[in-house]
Order: sequence, then structure tokens, then C-alpha cells
Amino acid sequence: MNLRQRDRINPHLDLDTVDAAADLMALNMGPQHPSTHGVLRIKLFLDGEVIIKAVPYPGYLHRGVEKLCERLTCVQLTPIFDKHDYVAPMTNEQALNIALERMLGVEVPRRARYMRTILAELQRLASHLLWLGTFTLDIGGTIGGGASLMMYTFREREPILDVFEMLTGARFHYNTHQVGGNRHDIPDGWAAAVKTCMDQLAARMPEYEEQCVTNSVFLMRTKGIGVIETPLALELGLTGPNLRASGVDLDLRRDAPFHAYDEIKVNVAVSNGCDTHARFEVRIAEMYESIRIVRELIDNVPEGPICSLKPVRTVNQIKLPEGKQMYTAIETPRGELGTWLIGGGAEKGACPYRLKIRPPSLHAMAALPYALVGHTVSDVVAVLGSLDPIMGEVDR
Amino acid sequence: MAIDDGRSFEHPLYHYWENSPGGGIGLTSLDRLLMHSARHSLWFFPMATSCCAIEFMTAAASRVDLDQAGTIIRPTPRHCDVMVVAGTITVKMAPRVKKLWDQMPEPKWAIAMGSCAICGDFYRDIYSVVPGVDVIIPVDVYIPGCPPNADQVMVGLQRLQDKIKLQLEGKFVERELRPGTMIYPKIGTHGDARQSAEVAQAQLDGARGLGVGGKEHRVPRPAAVQAPPEADATSDSGEQS
Repeated sequence: MNLRQRDRINPHLDLDTVDAAADLMALNMGPQHPSTHGVLRIKLFLDGEVIIKAVPYPGYLHRGVEKLCERLTCVQLTPIFDKHDYVAPMTNEQALNIALERMLGVEVPRRARYMRTILAELQRLASHLLWLGTFTLDIGGTIGGGASLMMYTFREREPILDVFEMLTGARFHYNTHQVGGNRHDIPDGWAAAVKTCMDQLAARMPEYEEQCVTNSVFLMRTKGIGVIETPLALELGLTGPNLRASGVDLDLRRDAPFHAYDEIKVNVAVSNGCDTHARFEVRIAEMYESIRIVRELIDNVPEGPICSLKPVRTVNQIKLPEGKQMYTAIETPRGELGTWLIGGGAEKGACPYRLKIRPPSLHAMAALPYALVGHTVSDVVAVLGSLDPIMGEVDR
Repeated sequence: MAIDDGRSFEHPLYHYWENSPGGGIGLTSLDRLLMHSARHSLWFFPMATSCCAIEFMTAAASRVDLDQAGTIIRPTPRHCDVMVVAGTITVKMAPRVKKLWDQMPEPKWAIAMGSCAICGDFYRDIYSVVPGVDVIIPVDVYIPGCPPNADQVMVGLQRLQDKIKLQLEGKFVERELRPGTMIYPKIGTHGDARQSAEVAQAQLDGARGLGVGGKEHRVPRPAAVQAPPEADATSDSGEQS
């Protein structure tokens, strides 16, 4: 069989109908595998080295976050939301707090909105840097040269985490947002630190990009691999860079502005390649765009208060209206992170009755059975790495 | 380590070497060499599930650089000496963790990194989460934090190296307590900044076997019995005067 003849392979193949003489081999990949980005198990059915069928089995990191949200009050929820997408905690907090603010009708001060925009873009850079390092590590291997780029991207990620630590006191799991604004105001010298960090990154990014796109092995392993066509991407509900790499021009930062994105211009990167290399290109372009946005905003943060409500003193301080429900979505580094919130739960309405999370990674995982068939086993890590799923978000 | 016992390091060849004439002299030097190299070439098996995995990767990357301590991170259990459990262990994942632990060759050690691996953190009471990985495998070093910083991982590695050194010398090593299971007293201890000076003094006196105010210790009686009737007290004093 020709390895690239994808048209002749059916992703919905029923294995009972396969002739026993075909002698398919079942191979379990994961849950403990260094390149599955956590604990994902994929069951691969192979003809020789060609994948005939791929079935992902998530659930190895199911921590019952949505059940936990029904028992905790709105004030206590922010640290929980830090942990379900652990590569981009900052945008997760924002997704929760924007949902609560829109439900309660709380206005956020302009300074807090600007700060949130800067933090979201810095978090996007940190997340994409980690993705670039692990993606090239998966493709190149530790010995094959992939680890060198990983060391570089982790070096670039450290100043961004230092900037967060300067603001919030934590490298990870910041807990810096609250209903009505932010918890920590900008300290002295923060803007200068951000600018230095952005200058360094802007100077070094072309080098990292060049390391990839001038490498013929990298191009061979990414071009034409893991194709997700536009209709399929729309049907599966892909969002974020994965959708934009399939040729759909959709970005909630521009189309449904949430922080200060309505006051600035966001250039959305779109590619029509639909393959692994297109997803790589889109993410690299997003990183340049994020650097531009941070540099534009860091000098123009307006003065004023950072929170429109009283500071949090008790856990029962905020009560949600009973029976009211609302879906809110923002654009995180991985795509549309939505929260469906129903008010009026326990503790006299201080807890949500139900909090459904719509994670972008779960929908990216749905594309795996379609993207993998017809490729070899070694392409699994390339496709999976380019979709950039975070298992904490998939399993919740 | 599964068995806290220095003898588990004995290789079968030791026996023949020791019994050969003059073999003991070479064996002592070799023993010291092996002790040194076992401590400084620990290979890590990352049982990385969630947030702590990212911080563990950071520890292995450029700034902290675990490799300077002679570690190599290998994703297969059969090559490794130390299992680093970084992240929440769920009920679905727990049998895999146990199986991977069993596949590691002796001698082996385990590090629980982060509060989820130590005690389950705030997912502790959730139906699908194992409350601490030490219900499945024996843990040698606990690194608390959520997640612990990358340099804390380095400190944990040094703690493990110290422990291994003592184990190899055949000394008794006290088992490390799980941070989440330490029992704190309900009332503050002496010298606690949060409690008042009177309570601290009362506790100190109580510890010395003295009563309140430094006097002799007495069992406090019920109030009705303790306070004598006023009429009797006045009449007694009147009679004496």
C-alpha cells in the first residue's frame, strides 16, 4: 500500500469487517509515553507500519473538576481553573472570571483590562514556546537534535515566567484575577522587565524559526502529514491555531473582543495548508503577533483602579443569581475555552449550580482518528504535537 | 527503595570475590567506587502526568539543569533508578504506575513531587483521584509545592543522594514523613507567634507540672465546690479576729 494514499482508507473502519488474513497488529501508545503530552493512550491498528485505524482513549487524568466546581464558591474557583490547562494558567483564570463578570454584570476597569491583555499575550508566548520545544523534541528526539531547540525555548520561557513572578509572586498557578479586576497591581520596573524580555525574544525568534524551516528532515516530517480539511475541522469543532491552519479565519480576539482587544488591531494568521506544517506556521506567526501586541500595550497602560469591586475578604462574598445561565468563551493559546455557567448552587448561591467547561484540546483530540490514518507510527508524535492537546484540559 | 537494607546491593559475584584469597582488599575499594557512582548517576523515570511535569521539564532544561548531578531522564522503567511521580495520580492511572514501578530493577527509589502526588491536594476527596501516591508505591523523598519550583527539584535530588549514601553504608535511615499527614496540635505550641503570652506561660507551667501562675499544680474543681460560701468565710474570719 502506498503510504500517502489516504483516500482509500476509511477512518470509521469497523474492525469486525476486516478480513482476518489482513493480520492487523494492535499497538498501544501510552498512557506512559514521553511524546503523548501527558497521559493519553492511543490504540493503533497497523498493517505493517501503516496506521489503518487509531482510537484515542483519554481519561487517565480525570480529576472531577466540574464536580468540584459545584462544591466551591466563586472566589475559590480561580485556583482550580489554574490547574486544568497547566501550560496556560493565566488565560484559564481569565475565562472563569470573565464568565462570572458577565453574569453579574460587573464592569472591569480599563487598567485591569489592559493588564489582562498583556498577561494573556505573554501567556500565549510562554505556551507557544513550550509547544515549539516539545514539538521539535518529539520530531527530532533527544539524541537527534530536537533537544537543542527545546533548551533554547525553555531559556526564552524563563524570563516570561520571571515577569509573572514579579507581578504575582508565583511562577505557575498565579491566582491573580478576581471578579471585577486584578489582584496585583503593576510593580515598579515591571514594564522595563517586560520590554527587555520582548526585545530578547524578538531578536532570537527568527533564529529558532530558521532552525526548523531550513531543516529538510523537519520539512519532510511535517509537510503533507496529518491533513485536516476545512469541512472536517469545522465539523469537529476545532478552534484556535488548529482551525486557522485549516483555512478558517476565526479568532475570538478579533471577532468577539473580550479584554482590551476592541481597542487594538489583531492580525490573525491563517494558513491553507491544513497539515502539520501549516499548524507550525500559524503558531509561529501568532508568536510574532503577540510580541507586537505586548510592545504596543506595555507603554499605554492607563492609570486608575485595578478592581471595581471590594477586595476579596470572605469566600461567600459573591452570590450568583439563581437560575440564570450563560455561555462565555475566550481565546486561549489553544483555542476557544468556553464556560457554561448556571447560577444558584450551594452556599446560598455562592457556588455555581453547574459549570461546564468546553476545552479546546478535547476537540483537537477528536481530529486524531482522521489525521493519523494512512501515516506511519513515527508520524503519530508529529501530528499529536502539532495539535497541541493538554491532557489536563481534555480529561478535566 | 523497596527494602531499607544495605544488603540488597550485594551482587552475586561479591560472594566469589570475597572468598578468593586477597579479594577483600580489592572489594573494599570497589565498594567505595560503587557507592560513589550509584549516588551520582541516578537515572530518572518521569511518571509525569500533569502540572508538575512542566516544572520537572523546566528543571531538566537550561536554567536548573538536573544533568549536572549526573542524572539522565529515560522514559523507560527498565533503565532507571528513580521514579519521579509528578502530578495527580487517578484511579485509572494507578495500576499503570504500580506496573511501571514493578518493572524497574532493584535498587530503586521514588520521589513524590507536588502536593497532588503527596496527598491528592484539593482533588483528594474526588471519586477518581488517589489520595497520594504512597498508597501504591513506597516514597523516599517528598517535594512539597504546587508545583514546586525547579530548584526545589534539585534540592530534593540532593536529599535523595544523602539518603542513598547512608543506605549504602548500611546505616539506618528514618522514613521521611508525608508532609500532608503530619498531625498538628489543635492549640498552639509554646513560642507560637499567634497565641497570647498568658496561654504560652500557662502551657509552659503545665509542662513543668506546675499550676497556673507558677504555683503548685492542682486539679481544677467545679466552680460550686471551689468557691466557699460567703457567710462561712466572713464568720470564720470574724471568729479569728
